[in-house]
Parts: sequence; structure tokens; C-alpha cells
Amino acid sequence: MVPAKTGWIILVVISLVLWVSFSWAGQIKHLVAPDSAADCYACHKKATPIIAENWYESKHGVILVKCFVCHGQPDGQGSVPWAVSPDPRIVCTKCHDPAIKRMKAKFGLAPKCYTCHPFHQNSLHHRAYSKSQSKK
Amino acid sequence: MSMKLTRREVLKSAAAASAFMALNGTLPDLAGAAPGEPDKWVKAVCRFCGTGCGVMIGVKNGKVVTVKGDPNNHNQGFICLKGAELPSIVNATKSRVTRPYIRKNGQLEPASWDEAMDLVVSKFKAAIKEHGPTSVAYYGSGQALTEESYLANKIWKAGLRCNNVEGNPRLCMASAVGGYYTSFGKDEPIGCYDDIDAATCFFIIGANMSECHPILFKRVAARKQADPNVKIIVVDPRKTNTARIADIHVSFKPGTDLAILNAMAYVIIDEELDNPRFYNKYVNFMTNDKKKVDFKAYQKFLQDYTPEKAEKISGVPADTIRKIAKIFAESSATMSLWTMGLNQRIRGVWANNLTTNLHLLTGHLGKPGATNFSLTGQPNACGGVRDTGSLCHLLPAGRMIKKAKDRAALEKQWGLKPGTIAPKPGLHTIALWNAFSEGKIKAMFVLCTNPAQSLPNVNMYTEGMKRKDNFMVLSEPFMDAETVKYCDVLLPAAFWCEKRGVYGCTERRYSLLMQAIDPIGECRPDVDILLDFAKRMGVDPKVIPFKNVDDIWDEWREVSSATPYNFKGMTRARQEKESGIRWPCPTEDHPGTCHRYVRGEDPNIPKDYKNKMWFYGTKDGKARLWMRPYAPAAEEPDAKYPMVLTTGRVIDHWHTGTMTMKSPVLRRSFPNAYVEVNIDDAKKHGIKNGDNVLLETRRDKMIFQAKVSDVCRPGLVFVPWFDKNLIINKLTLNAFDKGSKQPEYKICAVRIKKA
Repeated sequence: MVPAKTGWIILVVISLVLWVSFSWAGQIKHLVAPDSAADCYACHKKATPIIAENWYESKHGVILVKCFVCHGQPDGQGSVPWAVSPDPRIVCTKCHDPAIKRMKAKFGLAPKCYTCHPFHQNSLHHRAYSKSQSKK
Repeated sequence: MSMKLTRREVLKSAAAASAFMALNGTLPDLAGAAPGEPDKWVKAVCRFCGTGCGVMIGVKNGKVVTVKGDPNNHNQGFICLKGAELPSIVNATKSRVTRPYIRKNGQLEPASWDEAMDLVVSKFKAAIKEHGPTSVAYYGSGQALTEESYLANKIWKAGLRCNNVEGNPRLCMASAVGGYYTSFGKDEPIGCYDDIDAATCFFIIGANMSECHPILFKRVAARKQADPNVKIIVVDPRKTNTARIADIHVSFKPGTDLAILNAMAYVIIDEELDNPRFYNKYVNFMTNDKKKVDFKAYQKFLQDYTPEKAEKISGVPADTIRKIAKIFAESSATMSLWTMGLNQRIRGVWANNLTTNLHLLTGHLGKPGATNFSLTGQPNACGGVRDTGSLCHLLPAGRMIKKAKDRAALEKQWGLKPGTIAPKPGLHTIALWNAFSEGKIKAMFVLCTNPAQSLPNVNMYTEGMKRKDNFMVLSEPFMDAETVKYCDVLLPAAFWCEKRGVYGCTERRYSLLMQAIDPIGECRPDVDILLDFAKRMGVDPKVIPFKNVDDIWDEWREVSSATPYNFKGMTRARQEKESGIRWPCPTEDHPGTCHRYVRGEDPNIPKDYKNKMWFYGTKDGKARLWMRPYAPAAEEPDAKYPMVLTTGRVIDHWHTGTMTMKSPVLRRSFPNAYVEVNIDDAKKHGIKNGDNVLLETRRDKMIFQAKVSDVCRPGLVFVPWFDKNLIINKLTLNAFDKGSKQPEYKICAVRIKKA
């Protein structure tokens, strides 16, 4: 019979391991082929197929705004900081600054661009502003 | 051992773990300043392609920290993935040349500026003394600033009396220059980017816009999204990403586009979609041997190019040729866009002419959206080299060395003694490097280009660079550029935003790049290096009187004012305020010109001119339709080498990769060159994706990893040329267009086998 105190310690350790593995797993996977780590689409076609296809079919995909332009790289190298959810002030403004300023003047500013604007699923084929539902 | 945990306790710890995870993923928002917000934004132009996007460089504490699009330039704030990575390239200072070097016993040894420049000047002086001014040369670049090219051109042609001034635009745009010149009597496009927003049909031929002109591709795609009735035709032996937005992609046997273009003209006339009102007024019909004939003669010429005959030559079904010809002609405003697929050919000028012919036949010219628009590859081939006349046969603003009248006019403007400018044109790029490789050119000044990787059939030229009896000084920012291996003196050039000056992009727009940071180490802007060279060479200070880059701009502005280029209205003050202006721009209050040759838009045409259009570059004011035949490539596939090798770019890399490979992101997006093989060809050769493949041409052989896809048509392989460890130009050939002297990078014969 394990004393209750030990049980709690084990539980905390498990939680910490879970936390570490969730936040670091993504980065560890990218160490497998570091030389081509910025060719995200090549692997993510299989790893996260729905997001990858959303991007490919979107305006960003057609005009080759590749993943790293917005997300950077998992090891933080390059001109854009690594972020699963990019900071619009750093990323979106690189290209969309004029539109952001226009929106701010007309409607005030929604703090997060992607409350309205789909980032992956900005399609050429259907209505511009359908929000992305995909998690994977 | 067992543990009793209540459900509550499990949930509590799970919540704690989630809280930790959430801390990593807080969604940031637009309110408030971004982390690392710059102290100042400096206006400039992107370092890369001929699109010429305006950029704002974010500087914090004297360092470039970010970049965004200039909202006021034509790109309206947008930039592509290479432009976005400029900060990491600017900050790759460990890879920079930061001081001069002199090669001693095979190794580059650090030297002072005085030592290096004294050596350079002694070599040039000795060569000129012993062998005359034609034994030296300058080889520049479509990536140098306009003021740098203008200055070098003047130093060599007026100062040293040497016409051996060339540059890498000879390798990319010469055929477009030749095309515009033979069709209209003057170089440079008639239309501008605004035409993209008005066109109802895009005819994209020999151009992979999505990877080589991304922001213009975006503009074309946006045009189609705004109006789905807009038609896009992409003509390319590769089904590139550009073809994704095409209504029709036409694949054809490489080199046979000449037959297809003539066949389209045949169909246009046969379907009675030609525009006699336009060509009777504005077009002379010219045979290939320069005889002026009539429309009937042109119809007779086209009998060899019925769609069925063109199908036999090109592999394109006759019905497809009919279809695209009709779409081209029936659309209300058709815009043709092309780049290296047409230019880098031994028939490059012809390919340009034949594309322009379709516009002359249909009258798709001079109206919004209707124009024959050559896309320029480099950021400053137009403004820097073509317009300043920094080629062996040219003088600034379209004047020609061989014309005594032109030499005299420039001599007067430059205050030179009559006869200063040598009457014989110099050597064009291939002839120049041939001569250098034979030891006939003794001293060459190479600036802002990487010929040891970019010249075709390059082994020949790197061998020539190894000779002991010739001397090469190289001005280069990056230590690992291939040409550094062969230079005798290496000078540390200031990089892109460490200096100020003008870039002139594809649409005749001249934009000022402001300086964002100081040059690092002992680097100097190329203008300063060239002024120093001129001074030490003893060039008359009245010929080279400039104190700084702005002086040079002012003189060039003044020189242009006596010609149809006239951009006198682009004062430095105006350039600092605005984000690029299109020439002609004769006065300070002139907004710049969208369409040349059109009354009411082109300031060179009187407002009350009798006709709507005036091609004032020709004697009779008419354009010329040239009857160019189909002729094969220099090296067609045969039994021994049965496939075609073509080369080109990928979006991730610029040219020889000296810059883009410094970005850890761009490098890892496309780390090595590979060979693109068609699925059927791969099956035939037993090649699977990722296999090593040996490519062999008559010149060299090389192993690449295969990428098997349906991009290349069967019989064609593609290799990008950015990789200095896999220099595909060792395999290409240096046959060149007799008119433009541009080499045929796009077609040579190759055989492949699994390695």
C-alpha cells in the first residue's frame, strides 16, 4: 500500500511529464530531419492532413506563403519567432498592415485577427470568411 | 501496492497540467505594441526579384529586426517568403566579407584597403599600358544599384575609353531587350502592373510566376478571384504551381513555342479576330531578313504554321492551339507575361517578337489590361543596367555605341572631348568570359554577381579564372560565394540596406532604397569603391566629379532629360517622399507614366498628336511584326542524350543562394538541389522518389536526388540552380542568341540513369 503522500508525488510527476511532452514533443519530432525542417508541408501532409490541405487550397497555399512565414521554426531560428498561434502584431502585419489599419479605422480593432479571419482555410473556392473548424 | 485516489484528486491534477500547457499557448492580440517593436522604419525595396516590392525595414538599436511591405508602393504592403526572411540574411554577419583580401600563394590573405586598391589599379594600369583599353573589363549586375552601374559605365567608357562593360542581365534579359528593340525601336515595357488589374485574359508563357514573381502572381490570382470570367492560359513544359490558377495549361516540346505562337497568329486571322484597324495604322510587316512586306505576305508565311502543322512540331493538339488563340483574341484586354522560358534561348529575340506579334495583330496594346509585358528577373536589370546602357553595345538611355550621333550627344552632355567614347562596341558576356579564359582580357572588375556559379558551361570559365596571366577583382558581400574561390582580390561590399540608391523594377518604376544601418566591418558601398578606383586610376576628375551617390543620381536624371527616358522629375527629395515613380517623368509634378506610346499618357507625345499611339522609337512611328520561323534549339535531344535538361528557380532561393542560404528557414525549406523527373520517365528508368540519379550532358555529369512528379512533361528534367554544391551550370551549354547574345540555359540534351 503506497502512502497517500507518495501517490500525490507520482501524480504530480506524471502531470509534469505530460506537460513537458506536450510542449516539447513537437520540437523533438522536428529534430528527426533538421536539414529540411522548414519543408513543413512535406511531413504535415501526413501528420496533420486536414490543416495541410486547408492551407494548400487556401490563398496562402496558392501563393506559397509557406508555414514558416507565419509560424517560424520550432527551434526558433529565422526571422519569425516560433509560435503555434502566431502573434498578429509580428506576423500578420508584415503583409496585411494596410488592411489592419483600414479595419481599425472603420470598425475598431478586434484584438485577435483570427476571431474573424481564417488563417488556413482562406479559400479561393467558397465564401471568404468561414472559420476553420479543423484541429488536425 | 495500490493507491486510492478520488476522482476529484485526479481531475485537480489534470487541471493543473492543463494550466501549465495553456501558459505555453496564450493567444496574443493586436492591442499594444509588439514585442521588439522597431525604433524606426526605413523605406526600401526588396533585395530579390524584379517584382520590386517596396519594403519597410524595421530597425531597433541599430539592428534590422523585422521587415514588412511598403503600403505605398505597388505591392500595397505585401511581400513574399524571401522578402520576409531578409532580417536573418542581413544579420548573418559571420558569413560576410568584412575586410579586403589579396590572394597570395593560392590563399586569400587579409589586406588593407590601400594595399588591395593599389594592387587592383596597378594591374589595370599595366594591362592598359601594354595591351590597350580593350584588354580590361567590368562585369556588373542587375542587382547593383542604378548609381553603381551608371558610375561604372562612365568610368570605363568615358574614363578608360573601354567598352567592355557587361553584366549578368545579358544572361537573363538581353532577349527581351532585343525583342522590344526590334519590335518597337526602344527597350522596356509599354504597360505596367496596373494592367494586371484590368486584364480579362492572361497569357503566361515561359514564366513560373508563382515562384519567381510571387507578388505579381498574387495580383493575377486576385484579379481572377475578383472576376471569375477572367481567363488564364499557362504555356510551359512544366506544370508548375503557376498552373494551379490556369484555365488551360499547355505543355509543349521545349523550344517549339515559336511554332505555337505562329500557329496562334494563323488561327487569329483564320477566325477573323485580327484587328486591321490597328495594324494597318501602326504595324509594318517584316520578313526575317528585314524586308518590308504586306499583310498578304504574312498570311502566306503563316501557311507553314497551321494548327495541324504546329501540332506535329510541338506536340500540342491543334484544337488546343485553336482554343487558346481564340481566347487570346476574343478577350477584351489580353496581357502576356513571360520571363526566362522565352529569353534564355538561342531564339530568344524571336520568341519575344512572336509573342508581341499577337498583340500587334489583335490590337491588344495601349489600352488598360492589354499589353505585352516582359517580366524582369532581377531587381535592377531594368533601371540599373538596361536603362543606364551598361552593356557593351549601349550608352545611357537607349543610345548605341555604334551610332556616331548617339556618341556625340552623350559626349556633349558629359562634357567630353568629341571622340572620347570608342566607336567599336565591346565584348558581350560570353565573348568577354571566353576572352578572359583565353588570357586576352587581362584585368576584370566583377561586382555584385557570382559568375563561377551563374555562367553557362561554367567549368570552362572557372578554368579560365585559374589562369595566372589574368586578374580578377571581386566586390562581394558573402565569403562563401563560389567566385570568391577564384578572385585575386576580394573587396568587402556593403550589403543591401547598408547603402542608399535606386532600384528600377519590371514596370519602369524607380524606387529609392534608403540606408537602414551602417556598413559592417570595413565594408564600403560599391559607389565609394568605384569612385576610389576611378581616382586611383587617374580618371579625369571632370569626368567623374561625383562626391556621393546622390550626385550621380542627379547627373543621370539630367542625361535622361534629352531622351524619351526623361525622368528629370524624379528628384531625390521626391524619391524620399514617394514610394517609386514610373518613367517617363519629365517634371517634378508629373505623376509618372503608366502606358508608353499612348497619347495622353506618354509625356513624349504631344497632346494634340494626330494618332492615339506613336511608336516614336522607329523612323516611321510604326511597330514591327517580324516573321520569325520555327528553328530548333542549339542542342536538341538525340539518341545519345535523349532528354531535355532545363534549369530555373524555386521560390525559396534566389539565384546562387549566397543570400537565401543564410536564412536558416529558407535553407531548411529547400536544402539541396534535386532533379525533377516525370513519373513515366522515372518508371522507365527504374527510379523511385529519393533515388540518386546521374545526369550527363556533353559537358559534365552530376548526381542528384530524384523528385518524381507530374510537373515535368515526359522527356524533360528540371534542376534548380541555387545549390553551390551541385552547380547545374557545369552541365548547361553556352550557345547564345545571335541577336541578343543571351545563352540558352533552358534547353540542352541530357541522359539520366539511376545511380
